[in-house]
Order: sequence, then C-alpha cells, then structure tokens
Amino acid sequence: MSHYLITFLSALTEASSLFVAAAGLTLVFGALRIINIAHGSFYAFGAFAATTLVGSATGGWRCWLALLAVPLGVAALGGVTELSVLRRVYGKDHLVQLVVTYALFLVFGDFALRLWGSAARSVPVPSVLAGSVTLGSGEFPVYDLFAIGVAVVTGLVLWALLQRTALGWRIRAAVEDRELLASAGTNVPLLFTTVFVIGTLLAALAGVLAAPLVSVAPGLDASIIISAFIVSVIGGLGSVAGAAIGALIIALFNTVGVLWAPTWEPAFIYLAMIAVLALRPWGLLGTAER
Amino acid sequence: MATFHKKAARQRALAGVIALIAVLAVAPTLLSTAALLNVQDAIGLALFACATNLLIGYGGLVSFGQGAFYGIGAYTVALAWMHLNTPFWVTLVAAPVIGGVAALAVGLLALRTRQLYFALLTLAVSQLLYVIVQQQESFTGGADGVFGPMLPSFLLNPGDAYWFTLAVAVIALLALWQITRSPFGMTLRAIRENRDRAEALGVDVFRHQLLAFGFSGFFCALAGVLYVIWGQSANPNLFSWTESGYPIFMAVLGGQYTFLGPALGALIYEQARDVLLASFSDSQLVFGAVLLVIILAAPDGVAGLVGRGRGLLARRWPTLAPARQAVAAARQPARQDSKQDGQHETVAQ
Repeated sequence: MSHYLITFLSALTEASSLFVAAAGLTLVFGALRIINIAHGSFYAFGAFAATTLVGSATGGWRCWLALLAVPLGVAALGGVTELSVLRRVYGKDHLVQLVVTYALFLVFGDFALRLWGSAARSVPVPSVLAGSVTLGSGEFPVYDLFAIGVAVVTGLVLWALLQRTALGWRIRAAVEDRELLASAGTNVPLLFTTVFVIGTLLAALAGVLAAPLVSVAPGLDASIIISAFIVSVIGGLGSVAGAAIGALIIALFNTVGVLWAPTWEPAFIYLAMIAVLALRPWGLLGTAER
Repeated sequence: MATFHKKAARQRALAGVIALIAVLAVAPTLLSTAALLNVQDAIGLALFACATNLLIGYGGLVSFGQGAFYGIGAYTVALAWMHLNTPFWVTLVAAPVIGGVAALAVGLLALRTRQLYFALLTLAVSQLLYVIVQQQESFTGGADGVFGPMLPSFLLNPGDAYWFTLAVAVIALLALWQITRSPFGMTLRAIRENRDRAEALGVDVFRHQLLAFGFSGFFCALAGVLYVIWGQSANPNLFSWTESGYPIFMAVLGGQYTFLGPALGALIYEQARDVLLASFSDSQLVFGAVLLVIILAAPDGVAGLVGRGRGLLARRWPTLAPARQAVAAARQPARQDSKQDGQHETVAQ
C-alpha cells in the first residue's frame, strides 16, 4: 500500500514543477496569444541562477533567498524581453511569433552556456528540508513534499489572482475580448507586460524548485519546453486548471511508464497528447479556436 | 498593358530560374568536393523546405512535424536495405509513396485540430517517431542510425550523386509548382485567406487540406531520400522537432509567400551556418540574433524584402511605375491580412 502511495507522491513531485512551468506558459498564451518557446529558457535561467546563488553550501538562508530573488530577477528579464521584442510581433501571424521566440530561445541558450558552462551543476536542498519522512514501510524525501506544497500554493494564488482581483478580471477579459477591454479604458499594453512578467516569474520559480531534483545542464530549456507544451495543450491552452490536470496526467504516465515499460516510456507522453487531442481537438479544458 | 508586363516579369523570373539551374548544374566542375557536398545538402533541404511550404505558405497550416515524413523517406531506404536488401531504385519510388500515405493518415487526425494545436500535434507525431526509432534498436539501429552500402555504386561518385540530386530536386519542384498553380492550389490559398468564406462557397476544406498534407508528406519523404544520398546513412535526428523546425525557418527566412522563397532560404541558411560555425564560438547566439533581426525587419522573408525594395525604388522614380506594377503582379500570392491578424492589430502598438 505505502509502495503505491510513494509512487503516487513521486508522480506528484514531477507534476509540481511541470505545473508551475506550464501554468506560466498557458497564462501567457491565454492573454497574449503567443506561444513562447523562450519560456523554457526562463525556466533554465531559474535553475542555473539557483545553482550560482546557493553554491555548494548546504545552507539555509541562501536557498530561501534563491527561491525569492531568482524568480524576481528572471521576471525582470522577461519584462525587458516583452517590451523590446515581443511587443513588435503581437499583430503578426503565429508562425512569425514562433520563429521570434525560437530565436530568443537560441540566443538565451548560448547566453546561459557562456555564463554557466556546459558541465552539469547541482544544488543541495535546504538543510531544514533535508532527510525524509517515513510513510508506512517506505521513505519519502521532505523536499519533494515541499515542492508539492509550493505547487499547490502557487495554484491557489493564481486562482485567487484570476478570480478575485481586478488584475485577474482584466487578464480574463483580455482572453475573451481585448478590443472591448481597451475601449473600456484598460491600458492593454501594460496589462500584457504584466502578464508576461508573471509568466516568466512562474517559469523561473519552476526552475528553482526543480533545481535540487534534476541535473542542471544545457538542454534543460529544450526538454522542459516540450513537456510544458504538451501539458498545456492536453489541459487546453489558456486554462490554468487544465495545466494542473495535464501535469498530473503526464507525470503519472511517466512514472507508470518507467515502471512497466521502460523502453516505451519516452513515447507515452506523446501518445497521451495525441490521444487527448484526437478526442478533444482543443484540449481538456480549452475552448475551440475560431 | 498589365498583362504585357506580367508576361515580361514572368519571363524574367523564368530566365532567372533557368540561369540558377545552369549555374548549379556546372557547379561540380567549379567547386571542391567539400563545397559541392554542401550545395548538394542545400538542394535537398530546398526541396524539404518547399514541400513544407506547401502547407505553411499556401495552406496556412503550420506543421511542426514534417521531420516525420523526411525521416520516413530516409528510413524507408535504409531499413528496406537493412532487412530486405531492397535495391535503391525500388525504395526511391516507394519512399515518397509511403511518406504520402503516412501523411494522409496523420492528417486525418491532425487536421481535426486548428492552428497551434495543429502545430503541436504534428510536433508530437514527429517526436513520437523520434523516440520510437531511438528505442527500438533491433529494428531501426537505435540512436546510431543505419550505415552501410545502401546506395548503387554510381551514387558514390560525388559528381554523379550531385547531378542526380539536382535532377530529382528540379523535377520534384516542377511538380510541386504545378500543384500550387492548379485549381487545387488556388483553392488551398483561398482557404488560407478565409476559411469560412471558402466553406460557404462549397469547398470541402478538410479534403483539400488533407490532400495538401499528403502531397507535402510525399515530397518531404523524397527530400529524405536525397538526404540518404548525401549522408549515405539515416539517423533518428531526422525525425526530431528541431529537424522539423529547419524548413520552417528556411521558409520564413526566404519568404513563405513566394514559391522558391523557401529554397532561397535553404541556400542562405546552409551557407550562413557554415560561416557562423567557422567564425563564432557562440554560433547559436549569432544565428538567433540574425534570425530575430530578419524577422523583425522583413516579416515576408528575403524574397519579400527584394519585392519591397523594388517597390521603394519605383516610388522614388515614378517612371518605373509600370514595372513596379508588373513586379507586384508577378509576385506570388500577395500577402493579405487574414481575419485573426486583424483582431490583434488594434491593440498591439
């Protein structure tokens, strides 16, 4: 019994950083209608910056500082990116937007390589969260529980932001009809920058959160962006709740896949996505595109 | 008046293309083997890019998974040789057919989705094949790919391999060009411009798009065969999403709204990549930055930029106005803002 519980919790751990990353991607897509390939770069920046800030010290306060300062710093970079580049391509077709964000992805990728090198880096978990708890006959790392907790809190904060604040109403209104929103007096360009900054913040937060769990090396940006795409497409582009469901599905498929059919495991997430889109061409909680 | 200039412009374009083919045909006598291989690679990629552009530029369907059919073409040759010892001439014909049929099957599923969902579903299909080919080592050779004497001996001679590649690519591009000019191609463009209106006029949108997907898969697979002639091997990377990305960048770089724009993009990309790799340690950074500047400065690609440059020239010297009209008329499908774009433009300053 506890064996299944631990398997389920490992899946939840994987789902947690996936959800945080995909929530940012899907939020940005919902309001800006841009599919941002460079989102993966911001995630990688988060993870890399955490390794620099924390260093090798198994130390308490630096980890907490990283968790707070890194997402804010990367979010500022996101704001600059939106203002200087993305703002110019909002009216263009999807293809131009995809190529522009891919170009950014390439530039950021080499930039990270220059700054942090090509060797794999790692971060120790904060000393408070080191060790593991006993669950029945098995053990489970405390940090993984913490990651799950952060993802849940992030989800709740996002929900409250979108449902309960004026900013959230404006973001949701921008998803529905941005022209009406603009004519009603909202500064839509400013709103877009704000949404993009929040999206970047989530990407970097996911990166920091995942840093102690994965090997932080070049290629992290490419692997997370594919997973985040799949998660947000399964859930329905633009839907944060969908991203949560998508992250759970993908994490479960991965975890079960590794256990039952290791050689076919990498194929599972693509099969899951194809199957979902075959049944619902706009994702589980998405709305049909016109 | 207008038809006269249109005809003149078309003759000029035709003369340009014939001159280009002539230059490419004598290249083996002028270039070193290494440089020749480079051009040969670019010719294969030009076919790949133009075949992909049948979907992107003409159909308005951004497929991020054409690498799937490129890979199917290459692996048809390699696996048929490895398991059945099938002669190359058989697989040369079989590969595009298999690619086309596979594309029809994928299209049945993918064309139910729209826009970004379509892009990401096609991406998932190519990634699915990529991981399967990597994992099923006993059948596919795994991550190392397939190597061996799978080509007839005359294709091992660099000059002959080059000419054969050029001939196949020219014939294929002529066929593709005929498809874009046919009533089918016109209807495909009408669907791109306004799907609802085309539907209201009684066009079966799904069938047209499915057929376009099949044609594209056919020619992408043929480009995959050309890859085998160039690389004398097949490897799983042909299926990956980055490989699917190349023809898209080539189309955007060269100009997706002209027939040969993507081919131009392929030639530019191939040469530029070598220069970049040789001169910069951060080649991705430079490539990305160049791509960014081109996209922001010339959203219609290099071919579009040439057209615009001529327009600018004509505005300065109004006596050239008739020529300008001719150029504008001769330019392949004129770019018109589609419905969705109009929506965005009001808010994005």
